[in-house]
Amino acid sequence: MIADIASDLKVDSAMTLSKASAGCQLRIRQLAGSACQRLREIGFCEELEISKLSDGRNMICSVCGTRLALSKKLGDQVLVEMV
Amino acid sequence: MEIIALVGNPNSGKTTLFNALTGANQKTGNYPGVTVSRVSGVLRTPHGNKFELLDLPGCYSLTPKAPDERITRDVLLGDQQGSELPSAVVCVVDASNLERHLYLVLQVIDLGLPVVVALNKVDLAEKLGLRINVELLSEELGLPVVPCQANRGKGVLDLKHAMRHPLPHPSRRKWQASKQTESAIHDLTAKLESEGMQKPSAHAVHLLADAGYRGEDQPALDPSIQSLAVDLASVCAREGVSTEEEISQARTQWVQSICKVAARRQGVDAQAGGLTTSDKIDQVLLHPVWGWAFFVGLMFVVFWSIFSLSEYPMGWVEMGIDALKQGVSTLMPDGDVKDLVNDGVIGGVGSVVIFLPQILLLLFFIGLMETTGYMARAALLMDGVMSKVGLSGRAFLPLLSSYACAIPGIMATRSMDSAKQRLLTILIAPWMSCTARLPVYSLLIGMLLAGYGAAVQALVLGGIYGLGTVSALFAAWLLAPKVKGEEEVSHFLMELPSYSKPDVSFIVRHLVERAWSFLRKAGTVILGLCILLWALETYPKPKEGSPAADDPALALEQSYMGRMGHAIEPLVKPLGYDWRTGTALVAAFAAREVFNANLAISYSVEEADDEDKFLEQLRGKLAKATWPDGRKVYTPLTTMSLLVFFVYALQCLPTTVVVRRETGSWKWAIGQLVGMTAVAWLAAFTVYQVGSLLS
Ligand SMILES: Nc1nc2c(ncn2[C@@H]2O[C@H](COP(=O)(O)OP(=O)(O)OP(=O)(O)O)[C@@H](O)[C@H]2O)c(=O)[nH]1
Ligand SMILES: [Mg+2]
Repeated sequence: MIADIASDLKVDSAMTLSKASAGCQLRIRQLAGSACQRLREIGFCEELEISKLSDGRNMICSVCGTRLALSKKLGDQVLVEMV
Repeated sequence: MEIIALVGNPNSGKTTLFNALTGANQKTGNYPGVTVSRVSGVLRTPHGNKFELLDLPGCYSLTPKAPDERITRDVLLGDQQGSELPSAVVCVVDASNLERHLYLVLQVIDLGLPVVVALNKVDLAEKLGLRINVELLSEELGLPVVPCQANRGKGVLDLKHAMRHPLPHPSRRKWQASKQTESAIHDLTAKLESEGMQKPSAHAVHLLADAGYRGEDQPALDPSIQSLAVDLASVCAREGVSTEEEISQARTQWVQSICKVAARRQGVDAQAGGLTTSDKIDQVLLHPVWGWAFFVGLMFVVFWSIFSLSEYPMGWVEMGIDALKQGVSTLMPDGDVKDLVNDGVIGGVGSVVIFLPQILLLLFFIGLMETTGYMARAALLMDGVMSKVGLSGRAFLPLLSSYACAIPGIMATRSMDSAKQRLLTILIAPWMSCTARLPVYSLLIGMLLAGYGAAVQALVLGGIYGLGTVSALFAAWLLAPKVKGEEEVSHFLMELPSYSKPDVSFIVRHLVERAWSFLRKAGTVILGLCILLWALETYPKPKEGSPAADDPALALEQSYMGRMGHAIEPLVKPLGYDWRTGTALVAAFAAREVFNANLAISYSVEEADDEDKFLEQLRGKLAKATWPDGRKVYTPLTTMSLLVFFVYALQCLPTTVVVRRETGSWKWAIGQLVGMTAVAWLAAFTVYQVGSLLS
């Protein structure tokens, strides 16, 4: 389902947050999946610029200056593009 | 009294502000999910008004995922039974995180209550180079905005001024949704109004913004209202409009637009690729190798200091006890009363109180972890291990609190969003060794490793804590398939607050409070039990001239306690314990520390070296105790078997009561009590029997 949305977007640089490499500056394109509302409430909103600080079992992102740790499964529900 | 509620994201500083406003000393900590129930206090404004101030659990939105967030929503909607609707809300936002915290403010505004915004942690925002235009923010929000720094008490007076009577007028909804959603909100509001519901439009928006609220069992809502809301939402859905999505998007858009004008980030910023000090620390502390090395090293330091640093304060307590005993021996005439005071009161209570310094040291280290921000990192680090047994790293926070005491640990599970994970965590939490076990461990380890230094004792104590923890995780793995709930492991999502200096003044206040409550317990419950135990071991007195009259050991055997002890001896003999240890085990079900007291009382009949200090005397008496055939009772094997018993036994009735309340069923509470006690018996049995075969 996520793959479908990604192809719908037809943006070359769109990928999931899990796939992005650490140290990148990213912009959130879309949230898709079951935890979407939870992610939005904690700070992952559409159009927001974030940076991914580290990868691993759980990745760490900087969102508006806060560090948020999230699992790969949740990272898969965030579609981002490079800025 | 009118009610004012404190609301805000987790870790925004609500409780710190609550303490500053009311003079209370509620628990704070630098990690999300510290407060899990509503706490109230009295607030006096400079104008002489009195309010009831409510501290509520933190939440990211009013769409609850976890039980603690539900408490906050129910209080704010006036849905909670037995509690009035607050007449105003203080929204606590973290100024360094404005973009993320305003979402909740917006939701609270939609409730139609008067709102004051406390712009907390302005010091952090300044350090990050974040410029906030307070006037503009206040204008855009249409609310008073008060900058403050709760942990230093700055801005607290301004905040009190802002709450002057009459409270600021309810602000209006800021955002607009599509025509379909707006008309659904309108229709639902009309229906709620006709039903006489309080806050009709707030409820209407909320019903459409949260599918869970429409569907769940809500005593405060009429089912017909809920079904109307479901219908309206599905009408919108047929037209391709998801009311939830739309409302949440409308809100985030509004927040983003306001932040663009009112808050500017400047200077070096992590967003631009720069790493903050916290990030640099995290690169080490969350490193797959160094992070674990630090964690293990930290644990060793904690256990080592429990044995080495506590030496002096324990010596002081001991001196006090010995002086008391001296005084009693010289001042009081011989007789029952003197025995009661010496053996029952001083000996019994003393054998518990002497370990207070060790308990305080452990609590001090837990306090350090909680206030610096390391807790959240430990949870993240643990996530990998925990996921192997079907738990998320989130469960580590309540488990860590359980090392202090299982009850707050079990309460802390309220911040977990998965019901299944929450139940599993509650079920295993008592196997995290709490501080009530520390006096028992310490007494026994001192006997087992008499000639060894603090480092070896620390390793063994660490091993005992490890045994409890590993067994708990194993139990979670075994129980996971038996507990109903979603199959998938809930996903890790947590805020990592930036590190801060340990809040030493808070820790000290907290320790004083704990020490005081410990001493109170020692002076009441434990003292009472000691007197009771002493009486059971002294009466009936042997008749004049009977053989027992000259033989205190025989007299003890014939006492009430002796008879009871012999009745339960068959149950504890396979574990290697004599009847005196057996009765101490049973007494420990009233409170674990009573184990020490009962041993001290029932072994007081043994000869002791008067030169020795209090604790050495007690250990010496235990070491001398023999079976009727002359074998020693306290062999290393018996001691180990006892240690294992204490790791596993659930000897704490208050825990069982709290488990019943939190799980809502006696089934789990009683099952846990019986199961853990059975495991304790079997494990102690195995240790003793296998050990005996091998030696
Ligand atoms: N730098 C700074 N730190 C603060 C300020 N106010 C509170 N803190 C710290 O922020 C942390 C969180 O404070 P709490 O009061 O426990 O937060 P809370 O909102 O009650 O958190 P939950 O109960 O988890 O929802 C603590 O470590 C406080 O010391 C402030 O104004 N400046
Ligand atoms: Mg709190």
